[in-house]
Amino acid sequence: MMTAQDKILYVANKLGLTSLKNMQASTGAVYDVDTERNGQIFSSATRHVNPRITNINNNQFEVNEALLIETVGFYGVTSAPSGFSTYNLQQVYGSNFVIVYDLIIGNKRVQKDTPVFGSGSPYCFATNGMFTNVPDVDNTLQFAPRHQVYSEAVGILIPPQVEFYVEYRIFDVVTGAQIPVTSDDIGCYLYGTKVLLNFNTSI
Amino acid sequence: MNQITKLGYVDNKLGAPSDGQQTTRILFNTIEAPGTTSQLSFFKNFQGLTNGQTNLTNNKLDSMESMVIKTIMLTQFETNGTLQNFGGLVQQTVSIIVGNQTVVKNLPIHFNYGSTGQSYDRLHTNGGVTCDVITTPSATLQVHMPCEIRLLTDIVIPPQVSFEVRVESTNVNYGTGAVVCALSGYGKIFSAGNTF
Repeated sequence: MMTAQDKILYVANKLGLTSLKNMQASTGAVYDVDTERNGQIFSSATRHVNPRITNINNNQFEVNEALLIETVGFYGVTSAPSGFSTYNLQQVYGSNFVIVYDLIIGNKRVQKDTPVFGSGSPYCFATNGMFTNVPDVDNTLQFAPRHQVYSEAVGILIPPQVEFYVEYRIFDVVTGAQIPVTSDDIGCYLYGTKVLLNFNTSI
Repeated sequence: MNQITKLGYVDNKLGAPSDGQQTTRILFNTIEAPGTTSQLSFFKNFQGLTNGQTNLTNNKLDSMESMVIKTIMLTQFETNGTLQNFGGLVQQTVSIIVGNQTVVKNLPIHFNYGSTGQSYDRLHTNGGVTCDVITTPSATLQVHMPCEIRLLTDIVIPPQVSFEVRVESTNVNYGTGAVVCALSGYGKIFSAGNTF
């Protein structure tokens, strides 16, 4: 069974990143929001406010930093001036939306035409997705489906200093029509095992 | 044997080894306005479907591409997008055919959704819940969960071999909206260089 650490070291070795194995292993996530509504997430992170819109300054990691993506998640963000608060996309686009996305690292698509279903994506069940839709009234529950893709078997590594971004479109799965993003914005996070820069020598 | 080993083993047995990009693959296919029927055949008809209704153009993976099916998901929507229990609450089975071989045969699907509370695994316990609502369910008020089954055996779809998912029932009304089938698992896609 290949662990996350095995995969990181395997890819690092293939890419000739000999010092990555000496860095600090950690858990991390990066997020960004498509405020430009051009169908790309992370590619414009350099122009976004940190941490209100994103938590990265650029869509590539520093020297000796990397992320093994184990979960990709999508969420909605209310636009200014109402306040950049996050919410479940189903509340706006309904159960019948589907986001179809590509994940690109460098010049390579590493996840292609991957659907994220509004009603909850495969292998994303959890009881904690339920919530009260009418405050202070008992027994008024609905599901808040998970809009995530869990990596099967192994994650995908974003190596140091290689650009990455997510390209997406949103459709109505019943009619097949593309849905324009008109009111609020769509965000995405990449979560997994992180490698942090660790100085072994005095600086 | 895990998914990676199984995929490599089967691809090698078939003479189609691949050093492609390892990834998570989700294939999906939609049937519009299925109506009342005793059989649904997914991944058979791609005509007229948009990129939001399927991510394949025929019922085969490209050369150098293959995947392991770990999860089957089935959903039913009304025309307005409201999620329904798949085929109501009646008993139905699913079969997966790869090439000329049935690799999943008449697997009951109705236990992992609806109100029986008898899902195959704990992960899908919630699939047996219908939320108690005062307001009317709608596209943005989801009171069911889709039908989803996690397979115990890794089923491989090799490169360029046709496959099909068949749901069988007895005169079930699947409505006038759409039904969707998604297959999820570990896969390989074409890559000219190193894998990330």
